[in-house]
Amino acid sequence: MLESNRAKGGRAGLPNRLRGFLGSSMFRYIIRRLLYMIPVAIGISIIAFITMYAAGDPVALATAGKPNLTEAVRKALTAYYGLDKPIPVQYLNWLANILQLNFGKSLYGGQPVNHIIGPRIWPTIELQIVSLLIAFGISIPIAVHSARKPYSKEDVTVTSLSLFGVSMPTFWFGLILIIVFSYMLGWLPSAGAAGNPYLWWGNSTLDTIAHLILPVTVLVYVSLAQNIRLIRANMLEQLRSDYVLAARASGISERKVVYRYALRNAITPAVTFLGIALGGMIAGAPMTEYVFGWPGLGKQYVQSTLNLDFPTIMGITMIITVMTLLANLIMDILYVYIDPRVRIR
Amino acid sequence: MKTENDKPIARQKRRSASQWAVAWRRFRRNKAGVAGLIIVLAVVFLGLFGDFFAPYPAFPNPHYLDPLYKGDVRKPPSATYPLGTDGIGSDVYSDILHGTKYALYVGVVVTIITMAIAITVGAIAGYFGGWVDNVLMRFTEVFLVFPSLLFILIFVRVFTLGAGVGTYFNFLGISVPVGLTIVVLVLAIFNWPGDARMIRGEFLRVRELEFVEAEKALGAGNRRIIFRHILPNILSSIIVVASLTIAYAILLEAAVSFLGFGDANTMTWGQILENNFNYMQTAWWAELFPGLAILITVFGFNLLGDGLSDALNPRLRD
Repeated sequence: MLESNRAKGGRAGLPNRLRGFLGSSMFRYIIRRLLYMIPVAIGISIIAFITMYAAGDPVALATAGKPNLTEAVRKALTAYYGLDKPIPVQYLNWLANILQLNFGKSLYGGQPVNHIIGPRIWPTIELQIVSLLIAFGISIPIAVHSARKPYSKEDVTVTSLSLFGVSMPTFWFGLILIIVFSYMLGWLPSAGAAGNPYLWWGNSTLDTIAHLILPVTVLVYVSLAQNIRLIRANMLEQLRSDYVLAARASGISERKVVYRYALRNAITPAVTFLGIALGGMIAGAPMTEYVFGWPGLGKQYVQSTLNLDFPTIMGITMIITVMTLLANLIMDILYVYIDPRVRIR
Repeated sequence: MKTENDKPIARQKRRSASQWAVAWRRFRRNKAGVAGLIIVLAVVFLGLFGDFFAPYPAFPNPHYLDPLYKGDVRKPPSATYPLGTDGIGSDVYSDILHGTKYALYVGVVVTIITMAIAITVGAIAGYFGGWVDNVLMRFTEVFLVFPSLLFILIFVRVFTLGAGVGTYFNFLGISVPVGLTIVVLVLAIFNWPGDARMIRGEFLRVRELEFVEAEKALGAGNRRIIFRHILPNILSSIIVVASLTIAYAILLEAAVSFLGFGDANTMTWGQILENNFNYMQTAWWAELFPGLAILITVFGFNLLGDGLSDALNPRLRD
């Protein structure tokens, strides 16, 4: 009874509380979380920087396949990239440049890393956001439906399909989609982002959509499985709790009990998980982008790592780190809004 | 004195045996778990003896390209080649059979190393708490936030530079590929934090139970409490996590190989997929079947893990 009152009260009181949060405490919270991100970002940058040097002299590595280069050229290259200075000095120089958004020059072709990375940021974000929205839009109703009748035929189908989903290699699912929908049926493009070499389905908007369908399907399916498993488990727990029993006993419609009370409590842990899921999606980006020839950061990362192009690797690592941390921050803020019980100190 | 000490131990042994028997009875009723066990046993069997069933030898033996010399490149599945021939003219069915042992090697060794580190760190953090716990938690948070695949790729790329690809080392009379072993080590390095966090949680839970308090009151040392009392109590959780870690490791290795970072001379399933990526349009069977092998194997270990979880930790059900 108490629980159900709180569920009602929480809902009615939400806007007022939000207004309270929008005052100084929320602002301070965001600032503190932003400050907390700094050591994490620096830590990751140091790990990446040290890894580069674990490999040995970058110039020697980058020129390993070119025996015609003289020692003088190698020395000139070393000086050109500032690799003759002590490693801590190099790191600080690099950090100072990063803070001015200058990622240095590529070891592979010598063009500025900014020019390599810049145009690839948006395609990656586009792919991730579209997938994330669709994944959550689909997984919530499926998980709720599945949890309402646990161990029914539908539920067993959903749980075993989602276990099947987490067992499937991401990239292989992409390959199969390309084989079926591009090569066999010829319905969708097999690679690239848009407009290459001609427009699919007539105009450029439809062309963009045509190119998005397969990679988004892969990313959605992969995160769908995890989301459904998580939300279903939370939902089962909520549906067994006393406040649901009380709500049912007091004659509130089943629909309202499930969607208004139980789901609200089941969804909050899922929002935290959304941050992790996003990390997982970004981690999956190299595979998906590689399979679909998507011109994003992930594909470039694979290419640059194979080429041992360290400045580009570092640049992409840092951008992905910052993107992931920001996404997590947004999730945490969302969490405060969704769950009135969470108070920021 | 001696006889008095022996009695409780004997009783404890009998009881623990029946506890596993109960779990087995519960497991047997779970169809999905039993299916997982059957798949896993089949994969283990093929990992041990698959080489003998393969019509064509494995990669370093030049006869692996015999279909090519007969002019059978990119031939669809038929009676001669049950799963077709791939882009360079080797028999996909043989390649998959030869690859089974590598999948098991990756899964099992990554899991052994991961669990060894995770149990050590998790036990220290969960049992002693304090700054070790704090450092571990911050550390694992970074790992949970950051997409570790990126670091796995750099590490694998950098560490396989020094080691000659296609070299082998001898372990108990079995020649093990060096490149694949490096991949395995890197995967283990990046895999343990999540598991350590789980084991820490279990330690925290069990540490507070009465029997640990009783043992402390009897004057048992920390080591005895950790190894004789807490570890056996969380063994069931460790077994479940280990089974899921095997599945995850096989998936990760396939991804690393597919992206072109694996040991090019060791035909793991991921490596077969990578080699045939460019022939996908003309020889889809060379992409379909190795992927199916990965899917079935990983699915088997996941089913087994879920089944074990239901059987060993009934309170965690749902």
